[in-house]
Amino acid sequence: MDSSSGHQEFDYLFKLLMIGDSGVGKSSLLLSFTSDAFEDLSPTIGVDFKVKYVMMGGKKLKLAIWDTAGQERFRTLTSSYYRGAQGIIMVYDVTRRDTFTNLSEIWAKEIDLYSTNQDCIKMLVGNKLDKDGDRVVTKKEGIDFAREYGCLFIECSAKTRVNVQQCFEELVLKILDTPSLIAEGSKGVKKNIFKDRPPQSDASASSCC
Amino acid sequence: MEPHASSFVSKARTAFHSAAAKAERVLTDFKIDLDSDKQFHDDDFGMQRGDESARSENESKFRNELKHIKWRPPGIGTKQDWQDRINNIRKGRKEVEVTDKVGDVNVGSVPFYDENLYILNVKNDLDAKASEAIPTVEGLTAATKHPIPPSSVLKQLAIAIEAGRQTNSMKDFVASSPAREKAGLSISSVKALVLREKEDKLTSEFSSDEKVVYLINSLFDQEGEFLRRKINSDPEETSISSLPRDIHGAPPESLVVKLAEVIGNFKTLRGMSLFWSRVVDELRKHWSEEKHLLGVPPDDIPDLKSCLLYQQFQVINCCISRKRRHIIAIESLDSMVMEANSNTSDSANYMGRIPTSPLLYARLRTGELVLRLGADCPSGDLTLLETGEPAYSPVTQEGPLLTEDLIKETEEFVLRTGSVGAGCSQLLSDMQAFKAANPGCILEDFVRWYSPPDWMESEGSTEDRDSFYGGESMSSRGQLSLRMQKEGNLWRELWETSKSVPAVKQTPLYDEDLAVEGILDAFEDIQPSELYRQLFVSLLGLGFAIAETMLSGDIDTSKLFNDCKEYIVTTSQSDGFHEKVNELVQMYETVEKMLLNPDKALKMMKHMEESTMTTDEPKRRFSTGEPKHRFKRFSHIFGGKDKLLTPVRKDEVNDEEKQIRHSFSSFFDSKSSLFSKKPPKPGNLYPGEQPLSLERLDSYLDKVQFHPI
Repeated sequence: MDSSSGHQEFDYLFKLLMIGDSGVGKSSLLLSFTSDAFEDLSPTIGVDFKVKYVMMGGKKLKLAIWDTAGQERFRTLTSSYYRGAQGIIMVYDVTRRDTFTNLSEIWAKEIDLYSTNQDCIKMLVGNKLDKDGDRVVTKKEGIDFAREYGCLFIECSAKTRVNVQQCFEELVLKILDTPSLIAEGSKGVKKNIFKDRPPQSDASASSCC
Repeated sequence: MEPHASSFVSKARTAFHSAAAKAERVLTDFKIDLDSDKQFHDDDFGMQRGDESARSENESKFRNELKHIKWRPPGIGTKQDWQDRINNIRKGRKEVEVTDKVGDVNVGSVPFYDENLYILNVKNDLDAKASEAIPTVEGLTAATKHPIPPSSVLKQLAIAIEAGRQTNSMKDFVASSPAREKAGLSISSVKALVLREKEDKLTSEFSSDEKVVYLINSLFDQEGEFLRRKINSDPEETSISSLPRDIHGAPPESLVVKLAEVIGNFKTLRGMSLFWSRVVDELRKHWSEEKHLLGVPPDDIPDLKSCLLYQQFQVINCCISRKRRHIIAIESLDSMVMEANSNTSDSANYMGRIPTSPLLYARLRTGELVLRLGADCPSGDLTLLETGEPAYSPVTQEGPLLTEDLIKETEEFVLRTGSVGAGCSQLLSDMQAFKAANPGCILEDFVRWYSPPDWMESEGSTEDRDSFYGGESMSSRGQLSLRMQKEGNLWRELWETSKSVPAVKQTPLYDEDLAVEGILDAFEDIQPSELYRQLFVSLLGLGFAIAETMLSGDIDTSKLFNDCKEYIVTTSQSDGFHEKVNELVQMYETVEKMLLNPDKALKMMKHMEESTMTTDEPKRRFSTGEPKHRFKRFSHIFGGKDKLLTPVRKDEVNDEEKQIRHSFSSFFDSKSSLFSKKPPKPGNLYPGEQPLSLERLDSYLDKVQFHPI
């Protein structure tokens, strides 16, 4: 299902956040999930977002997925979007070891600093599985990190779309298993009942300063 | 747990634990009623005396209490009382006499709260009568000898939260007094105008009151000794830091916590509100004089796990720091440019002059030297591709300071409009700063500094300085990533748009003046219950944080303490905070007892558990095998009251009934035992209120049996 073309009814609103080094494929992963397309996208400037409606566990969910720029200079700007996120996706590139190392050096610390949601579900994602020949981070290393850090784990490829749907589904199912996050999701619905919102803008149509 | 901390009644209870103790309390309460009645009749309502004789004694007392709450706005003494006080001040009478008079004013103006204090603590009541209506620095300093702030302070904040819910703005809260008095007293319009005029005079008089000025000065004192308590947090640092944040309070020792303690010591709601206005004035003064607030970090971004008030204080301090840095940076840049100009104008020495160390130049391919503006430090080993000069990281603009409310607004704005303006603005600003610091640079240079993964080093080792930039004739030393080379890439468009402008000369991305002015305006217009709720939670956090270190060594009290702590964390994070404020006060009182009299507290807790056990008895038939641990018992006792509120909430209540109900609610809290003697007539209560109140009374009286609806 494509991004919202207008106002739709839903049961829960969840906020998801994607973080990780620049160039690991966060934006492509998000595009692959929301529109089944792949593009080698220009680097994200600041933050971007997409909205997707999904049916899961018998419920209609509205997912607001925030895509952040990984460059250090944008960190102050992106830090405010951690607030209230029910799910956080940490992405690394299996062909670049530094992007895996920075998960604990940088991104886990950012989560500790800025996330205001103690129960938020974290998911580790190793992207660019299609370049398995260039792989430098093994699956076992990913599993070990996830176990130690206490988060979900999956490897995928935004290009071939392997495991892309599963990635988001696993995360959302875990959120639906968490009562406090369900409560927050319901609050989002109540809030939106009283606001009419214009159709979702495409990234390509985004206006600039 | 005993809601009434009267030491006399408490002793009797401890000694005999029988009906005799209850009888004693009834007698004590009866005496309070008489005192209250007497005070009541000495006021303007003496004219009602004739009607009174026609009614039964019980009924008249009840109605008088109701009138008291409804007609007498807190903080407003009688005309005569205030007149006497003003005269005394003018005549400069002896302090003793002034004290007596002020004490009288206090009793006269707020008998409701005075009785409240009496019920809480007889000794405290005596102190309250003797003390001023405005707390003194000396009094507050003496109070810091207690391990944690007295529960009466927290209680006062709880009362303010409840009272403030009817008002949208602090301004209205202060201004509403004359209107209410006018309506309640049915005074003629001319008389009302006189009262209003007097009101304004009293407001300005409050600000210049000697004690208020001293309080303000102590609160904002740069030494920071005021209201400091010893917190032995060395071994427990991690634990200490988590509680105030878990409940969204403020750090211990912070300005917010001290403010909470000061405001909670005022005896009247009006005094609390007027003092807050005075604090806002002081904040404006600090901002205009660029003086940091003590008890708040001078240069930290807002801590979203603390309360909004604390975040806003952080922003004020951070903006002060930024303004100072900005001024220094501009002066530095201007003097650099002036020096460079003076060097240039000295043509005789131009060709042979070696650049002095503070001035940084970059040589273009033409050989021309250009002054670097806003260069911070060399960017590692990077050199500019076309000129070979070292690349410098520029001084860049600092990011926005977003408090939680602004973050929410920003996010909703982006969701609604799809705007990525903030990111583009920052990127453009950084590009302009980079150009100013690195004359002769190209986009590739910027990308190598800003986004290293988007630069791909070439395998070739040939170095060709003369290579021109161009699509097909890319420098052999490397190239932009494929995604950065895409047609229509916004980065390139921004790069070509950007001018060479150092950060300090750019249009600000974040306007400090605008930000702080917005905060100060919000402070003036804050909703009273919103302010007092944050102060309440912050003070609650301080008390528990201190108690945690003091009790951690004792196994018995430590266990009980952790139950209380778990409860307040859960309650503070949940919806329906307002319905549970009184339970939080009781938790605090329990902890206070644990510190002052551990054995007694434990005994009371056991007694309460026994009550809970009995209450659980009938329910056990329905819930098979469900384990119950200590916390659940706690939750059950207080959760029971929460359930009782549900039926009332569901009913439709018109404005008048709602107003009365709130008055009743406050009244019942402080006069619960009154109704155990005099059940109210059905006609005097909203139907849904009666069972609620009776149940509430039961819990206060520690009756064994609960009857859930």
